[in-house]
Amino acid sequence: MYSDDVFIVSYPKSGNTWSRFLIGNLLHPQEPANFANINRIIPDPEALSVRQLSHLARPRILKSHQYFDPRYQRVIYIVRDPRDVALSQYHFQIKRRVIANGHPVEQFVDRFITGATGIYGSWGENVGSWIATRHASSDFLLVRYEDLITDAIHEMERIAHFLGIAATRQIIAQAVERSSATQMRKLETDQSRMWSTTKDTRQDIPFVRAAAAGGWKSELSEKSVLQIENAWAPLMKWLGYDLLMPARESGELAAAVAMLGAFPK
Amino acid sequence: MIYGLKFVMKYAFGLDQAGRNFAVFPDDTFVVSYPRSGNTWTRFLIANLVYPNEDVTFANIEKLIPDTSSISSRSLRRTPRPRFIKTHEYFDHRYRKVIYVVRDPRDVVLSHYDFQRKYRQIDDQYPFENYVDDFVKGNLISKGWGTWGENVASWISTRGNSPDFLLLHYEDMIGDTFRELGRIAQFLGIKASLSLLETAVSRSTADRMRELEKMQSADWVATKKHRKDIPFVRSARSGGWREQLSENSIAKIESAWGELMTTLGYQLASAKLVGAR
Repeated sequence: MYSDDVFIVSYPKSGNTWSRFLIGNLLHPQEPANFANINRIIPDPEALSVRQLSHLARPRILKSHQYFDPRYQRVIYIVRDPRDVALSQYHFQIKRRVIANGHPVEQFVDRFITGATGIYGSWGENVGSWIATRHASSDFLLVRYEDLITDAIHEMERIAHFLGIAATRQIIAQAVERSSATQMRKLETDQSRMWSTTKDTRQDIPFVRAAAAGGWKSELSEKSVLQIENAWAPLMKWLGYDLLMPARESGELAAAVAMLGAFPK
Repeated sequence: MIYGLKFVMKYAFGLDQAGRNFAVFPDDTFVVSYPRSGNTWTRFLIANLVYPNEDVTFANIEKLIPDTSSISSRSLRRTPRPRFIKTHEYFDHRYRKVIYVVRDPRDVVLSHYDFQRKYRQIDDQYPFENYVDDFVKGNLISKGWGTWGENVASWISTRGNSPDFLLLHYEDMIGDTFRELGRIAQFLGIKASLSLLETAVSRSTADRMRELEKMQSADWVATKKHRKDIPFVRSARSGGWREQLSENSIAKIESAWGELMTTLGYQLASAKLVGAR
């Protein structure tokens, strides 16, 4: 690893691929990002050999789902409402044939909370470990998926600034346009067999899904929602996600709230 | 390529360091801390609590509670279960049951400085003020474990509320070893009699550990190759920073980790800093 490496980190299903497209299109206006070249433009180090990694042009922009790793010096962390992450991961695991059509969502959420549905810790462990260790650092940029949805241009300006790129408004607008859900869906239709992440998965379910925030409100049961909120209320509130559960209930997690002192504001 | 081959060979011959690469079992208990935070003392206390029939010394502590940075993954695999494993690793989601020992970073830096001189990683002339900068910025040889703040925060933020996580303060252990060992016993589900707790505490005192170190420093992996004129078991007390750290050093540490320190109950000394934040 080099000190000028930049890592685009997120828990899985939190908009990492979209962010890769956005940043790829920002850095390489001459080569529009697609599913056939994204692994080369912004590689996932776990998918590359040590030799391939050492041949990348610097500064390297790398993708990762890892929780806190002290070796990552510069980090753009994408965070997404865990209620939407759970839902997205549920659909993705059906696509990947990990679970079957009609698998009970509530059962999935039970396991999602403990981190048993993946290999990168639980959502709270992954997000919490980065925020608690690096939030105050000037080498850490926190980007909410929801803010990217609402105002991609503004978030891209923050990202460009973090990367030290003097990007014109026009380049940013072009990058956003080239990474729109519509554009990515079009590319996926043509290229899903060319991308390692999707080639061996069910082709009847898309990788680029709703590309929206708040799907949990209609698709998760109240029980699942409260379960997720109970697990991570302080962290969710700190991130600005409104909770469904009554305030006094979340207040019972006094110890957890006290822990938030560890997060520099 | 060469690195990969070397690793495979070491692994095959059981000469690797387990580090983060070993199979974790659900009944493992991890004794975790940033370096120089009372981990070895805690290991002695736990070993004396769990194995009252063993004479716990530096000669067998690596067998009783192995260290991920000195044991091979093969030996670790062969350690009888349930295992107690010592480590300095930052957060690892595979560790289910964790005892985390935290110590005031202002004391940790003093101890770490002596320790690195003992290990000949820095020489006696290395300016302490520079060392404080290294410590705060994560430029130490131990940076693979993160900075003090990163190590502590990575565990507390992820597991702080878990019933499978026990947070111990080194300072509380110094203040009332007996009570803190009682908390450990309860956490481990060990019904320890008062006399067992007392025996374990008395077998793990700083005086006794210093005696053992004198006799066995050549037998213990952590001390055998290193300077003998600097002891491993140091002052074994808290608050040394009040006399030994400059105002400048204190300010550097507190400005790096003030909020985390406050959360942990460590009062900040640089008042002007608190006002500034």
